[in-house]
Parts: sequence; structure tokens; C-alpha cells
Amino acid sequence: MSSTIDYSQELSVVEGKPPLRSIDDAIIKPLDSKPDKKYYMALAVTISMLGIGVIGLALSFYYGTGLWGNNNPVGWGFPIVNFVFWVGIGHAGTLISAILFLFRQKWRTGIARFAEGMTIFAVMTAMIFPAIHVGRPWLAGYLMPYPNQHSLWVNFTSPLLWDVFAVSTYFTVSLIFWYVGLIPDFATLRDRTSNKIKKIIYSVFSLGWRHSNRHWQHYEMVYLILAGFATPLVLSVHTIVSFDFAVSIIPGWHTTIFPPYFVAGAVFSGFAMVQNVLIFIRKIFNYEHIITLDTLEKMNKIILLTGMLVGYAYGMEFFIAWYSGVQPEQFAFVNRAFGPYAWAYWIMVSCNVISPQLFWFKKIRRSIPVMFVVAVFVNVGMWFERFVITVTSLSRDFLPSSWAYYTPTLTDFAILIGSFGLFFTLLLLFTKTLPVVSIAEVKAVVDGAQPSHKDH
Amino acid sequence: MSSSQSNVDYQHKPLPSSFTKIGTALLAIGLIIVIIGYFIDPTRAAFNNLILLMFLVSIGLGSLFLVGIEYLGGAVWSTPFRRITEFLASVLIVIPIIAIPVYMHMHDLYHWTHNEAVQADKLLKGKEPYLNLEFFTIRIVVFLLIWLAFYFLLTKNSKKQDTSKDQGLTKKNIKISAIFMPFFALTITFSAIDWMMSLEPHWFSTIYGVYYFSGTMLAALAATTYLLIYLNERKLLFKGLNQDHYYSFGALLFAFTNFWAYIAFSQFLLIYYANMPEETFWYLARWEGSWIVFSIGLIIVHFVVPYFGLLSQPSKMNPKRLKFMSLWILFAHFYDLYWLIMPTYNKEGIVFGWMELGFPLLAVGIVALMFGLKANKQNLIPVGDPKLIRGINFRL
Repeated sequence: MSSTIDYSQELSVVEGKPPLRSIDDAIIKPLDSKPDKKYYMALAVTISMLGIGVIGLALSFYYGTGLWGNNNPVGWGFPIVNFVFWVGIGHAGTLISAILFLFRQKWRTGIARFAEGMTIFAVMTAMIFPAIHVGRPWLAGYLMPYPNQHSLWVNFTSPLLWDVFAVSTYFTVSLIFWYVGLIPDFATLRDRTSNKIKKIIYSVFSLGWRHSNRHWQHYEMVYLILAGFATPLVLSVHTIVSFDFAVSIIPGWHTTIFPPYFVAGAVFSGFAMVQNVLIFIRKIFNYEHIITLDTLEKMNKIILLTGMLVGYAYGMEFFIAWYSGVQPEQFAFVNRAFGPYAWAYWIMVSCNVISPQLFWFKKIRRSIPVMFVVAVFVNVGMWFERFVITVTSLSRDFLPSSWAYYTPTLTDFAILIGSFGLFFTLLLLFTKTLPVVSIAEVKAVVDGAQPSHKDH
Repeated sequence: MSSSQSNVDYQHKPLPSSFTKIGTALLAIGLIIVIIGYFIDPTRAAFNNLILLMFLVSIGLGSLFLVGIEYLGGAVWSTPFRRITEFLASVLIVIPIIAIPVYMHMHDLYHWTHNEAVQADKLLKGKEPYLNLEFFTIRIVVFLLIWLAFYFLLTKNSKKQDTSKDQGLTKKNIKISAIFMPFFALTITFSAIDWMMSLEPHWFSTIYGVYYFSGTMLAALAATTYLLIYLNERKLLFKGLNQDHYYSFGALLFAFTNFWAYIAFSQFLLIYYANMPEETFWYLARWEGSWIVFSIGLIIVHFVVPYFGLLSQPSKMNPKRLKFMSLWILFAHFYDLYWLIMPTYNKEGIVFGWMELGFPLLAVGIVALMFGLKANKQNLIPVGDPKLIRGINFRL
């Protein structure tokens, strides 16, 4: 089909012109049917992973953070690496739901709901890490600037505080955005269900939605405004996460390209994760006509683009480190590529820069097994990117006497596994409680559903 | 599908003669001022010439990028206006001519071209493998060749499509655009570093290329927006241009105004916060004497005015407002380039005189003439493009 694309016709993003009712049926089916054995098996795996993380955390609370690999001079180990990784995973959701909405990309409709859900779960997972990394999470409330009896006031010049504001704003707006999109679908569910308890729950959440013209008008307006709000947040959150590093004077951290570079990296890893999970969802729930191969191909193109943006940033950092003539800066980068952490650096480069280059080829962009593997590489690579940034710079302090090699402990790994467990457990529960594809939005992009402007 | 092709209501008409006349007049006046300028104060003229050069690169290369991104993204709404952008990209052809006088005054502009200074300075000595005249020349020539090659490839196919209506040409251009993108990213970055950042050879910033790119996008978008409104007012485009087309341009101008501010602020904040002397001196130089006024003015001119001018939805759809804002944004980009370049020429404060007026006139003249030359020969809309009808009928 590739050679006969007719550019004068708009390609439908939903295949085969399915009747609208069948879309309802297809999307709601997982909610009405009892989960099968495979579902419970998957849930058992993710909950076990979560359990491992809970054990790791419980031990950390009992014995203290000395159980982690964090030590002088590498004070930021796994917790910060994981935090940045998970916040990054969330970014694809907001990009798909907000920015692609503003760009009127219709192919987003099939994947937006799911990606937004992943955003929320990823941010929830991410928020664990700064909380535990401060060592005394019960004091984290003081990060909120409120007049308290201890006359404690926050340090507004600290990036840690900016993180609190940025991430909590991001989480709130993402949640509202997600919920607003769900309202018409709740109404559809309410109208279909015969279960009394479900009916009450759906009625409450659908806020009296009647699918009326007025409702839709308001809905479209709110959705557009929220998309406008969420768009700067896509940039701001990871920008501020990058500030955690870049406002310091540590060689390898302090570089002006960090904000856009981190944003590109976040979108990169987020898309890879969304693509990975969607490959399963569309297969298991028979959504192949809604989340089409074309959609996946487009996602792969974005992975290729953002992968090259990240590659550009790697190159730029290296070049300017040399060009600047600043010796610590030059050392930091040579040390990254050829020092004790060279293995991590080259994993990062090969996963993030080299492997996405395969997506230049249409055949590979449309081959599900290959794209899955590439996206897994991307996720691994992006985790290693944060590891390389955090650890290599800290492990070589300005004084050679304070150099050390950071080794993560079992507890660190347990918490990392636990974070994956939490994320995937939430995702699995999501697939059985809420429509993972927006019913209303998909109906609007089916062939023949569009209003015609030509003859009115 | 071929039946839907044939009902474009378009006949090629030449531009009003005033367009080329004014363009030629501006070019002539500008040229005279520039030549006098080179006789009286060649250094100052060369600095101004560098601003002119970068401004024209912004228009030409930025437009070529817009053409490429339309093919790559499969954009439909912008197809009816792609010719305007293509014509603007033809400015690339004159870049070599504009670059020659700058190149002849390298010694006045760039500290690193002074061999004795480089030998005495450890930092500059370290940069010598990159910052030397031979490699610099090679880079400029290679960059220019890359730009011109992609310009001719993309526009040739587009022009051919007017008569052949061959969809294969669209496909070809999509492939060319994809290959163009990595070249674009690298050439625009290193052009910015070579021509502008190396004016202060001790200073460095990894975001510099992105910063110049953000301004480039604004300049190219603004020029396209202005011209499409101008042409539409004179009924030279197609029938059926509507609010939603305007809105798309307004929204993009607004988005990139914010993007520029984001990049500019990121660079500033990180350098300000870390407070390291090897970086801060660049900003401190722009805080010296009357430069402080100019620097604060940059925030207002380049961000505050376009931000509030394009914030509301009606303003993005209003051709009058868009026309004003696009001219304003072009001015803001010139202002930005002045801010980047001129503090190296005069550390005490801003310099402004007849010479600083002559170069912008020349810039407008060159763009108008190149555009006029192309527009009088070719169709103003890509009549053979398969996406054209969809683009004309585009609704939000």
C-alpha cells in the first residue's frame, strides 16, 4: 500500500469504517467481562514486583537510607535517576493529549486516553522517589509555603522547591484533563450498564452528562483551554527537572541546553513506553482497527525525531565542552565516555541514538516485533542516560581525593523493581475499570462522522 | 481524484507593479547607504552586514525548513501557502553575495582571526583546531552548498508538479525533506556558532543553536504570514481563504514567540544562577551602559508585545492584527540579532545612526525583490499539489 498513497484524500485513522455501535462494544467489552486467567497472571507478576519494592522501602525505613548505594560523593544515586526516568515516561501522555490536540492530529484519539493514564501513573510513581530521597518524608509537608507555627519558610531559590510546584501542578492538570475527557464516556457507560452499583458510580462521575449540543460545546471549549494549559506544562516539568542539575556548577550538569534536551528525552522515552504497552493492548483487546499500524508508525517517527534531538544534545554537550576550554568540563565528558562508567555511557548512546535510526526504514517502522524491541532499547537507554548524568559527574568530584565508584545495592534494585511493579499494577487495574480508548473521540474520527463544510 | 484537482479557481496574475518598485527603491537606497558606510566606517558596516546576513539566513533557511516540515508532517492547511514560503527560501541564493563583504572583514569582526592574539591566549589556542580561517571557510562553503542543493531539489519538484500533477513528486519531496532535517539542524547550529557566537570567542553556550533556530522560525513564519495577507488583500491567491487559515499562522507565531522566550530564559537563568565568570561576562556586557535599556527592551519587543498581541483567539484570526504582528516580529528578530552581535562592536552602549537604518532597508529590498522575481514567473499557489484542495477547504 505504501506506493499508492493518495495525498488528495484524507486517510481515516480508524480502519474499516466500523459502525459506531461496534466501537462502543469494543471499547466497553473489557469493563463488562470478567478478567481471564492471563490477566490474573499478569497482575500476580506486577504485584509481586510491587511487593519487592515495598520490602525494599520497608527495610529502608527501618534501617535507614544507609541501605542504599548513595554515599559521598555520589549523593544522588538511584532515587534521583528513577525520579527523572518516571517523570519522563509521563511526558508522552501530555504531549499526545495536549500538543497533538492543538496540532489537530486525529491519530492521537486512539491512544490519548491510555497515554494520559500512563502520565498519571508515571508521575505517581515518580513522586515516591524525591519523597524517600529526602530521608524524612514526613517532613516533606514543609516544602509547601504556608505560614506554620515553626516559622519555617521555604527556600524559593531551590530547584527542589520548584520541583514540588512543577510536578504537583503537572499532576493536577493532567488528572483534570484526563477526567474531563472521561466525562462523556462515563455517561455512555452509565447508559449501557445494567448493574446498579456501577450505574450509581458512573452517574456520579458523569456529572449529569446528557450528550446534548450545549454539553458538547462547553466540553470542546474546556478541552481546548485545558490543552492550552497543559502544553506549557509539557515543557515546564522536565525543564525544571533539568534545572535540578543545570543550575549547579558541577561539570557535566551545568550546560544551557539541558532544558530542551531533557524535554526531548522525556518525550522520547515516554513514546517508547506508550508504544510498548499499546502493542499489547491493541492485540489483547482487539483494537487493531482503532489503534492502527499507521498510528504506531507515526509514534515511531516521533521516536526517531526525538531520538535524534537527544543525539544532537549529546553531540552539542561534547563539542561545547571541548570548545569551552574549561578543563573540568572537558574532563567530565571524556570521563563519561572513557572513564569507569564508559559501559553505561555506551549503552546509552547505542540505545538512544543508534537503535532508533532503524526507524528510517518504513518496513521496520511497520514491523511490530522490531519496533517493540527498539522501544525497549530506548527505555533502557533513557534510564541509563539519567544514570550517566547523575552518577558520572558526581563520582568524579573536583578533588581526586573525593573520587569514588558508585555501586547500587540490592535495596536500590528492589525499589526500582517495585516502581515498575506499581506502574504496571496501576495500568492493569486501569484497563479493567475505565475505557482505555476515548469512545466519544474515536467516534468523531470514524470515516463519515465528520461534518461537511462544503454544502451548507 | 483527478476531478477534484481541476476545480481550483486560480489564475496567475503578476504582483502589483508597486511591489517590485518599492522593493527596488529600498534596495537601491539601502545599497547606497551601505556602500557609503563601507567607505566611512568599514568595521561598523561589517558588523551591520553580519546582522543583515544572519537575518537573511533566517528568512531563507527558516523558510526552507518550513517547506520541509510541511512535507514531512503531512500538513494540509499550509499547502496553499507553500509557494510563498518557497519564494522566500530563494533568498538563500543571494546569501553568498551578502557573505562576501563580511568575509572580507573577518579581521575586524573576529578576534580569533588575529594569530598573535590566539598564540598569546591559552583558551583561544585550544580552540584553534576549530576556529581558524581555513576550516571556517570550508564550513561556510559546505553549509551554503547544502542549503542551495536542498533548495533547488525541493522547489524543482514542487514546480514540476504544477504541470505534471504527479503525486510521486510529493513522495519524493517527503524523502528529500527527511534527509534535509539532520543537515538543517547541524548547519544552522554551526552557522550560528561560527558567525555569531565566535564574535566572543571565549564565550560558549550549548543552547546557542536552538536559540538562533527559535528566532529563525519566527522570522520565516512572520514573513510568510505578512505576504499571504498582502497577496490575499490584492486577490492574488485563491478564493476561500478563511479565518482558520489565519488562525493557524497566528497560533504558530504565538507558539514560537513562547518558544523563543523559553529558550532565551533557559539560557539566561542557568548562567545567572550558576554565576560563573567564564559565562556571565557575555550577559554583563549586555548590561553595560545603554545596553541595559536595550536588553530590557528585548524582552518587551520580542516577547511581551507579540505575546499579548496574539494571545486572544480573535487576534489570531484577524488579518489586520496579524499583519501588524508579523511585521513587528520581523523587526523583533532584527532587534534580537543586533543584541547578539553589536555589543562586540561597541562595549559602551548602543550605536544607532543612518548606517543602522540602511541595512534593514537593504534586507527588505532583497527579500521583496527575490520574492517578486519568483512570484511574477511562477504560480502563487502549488496548483498541481494533491493536497491543495484539502488545504483550501481546510476548517478547524
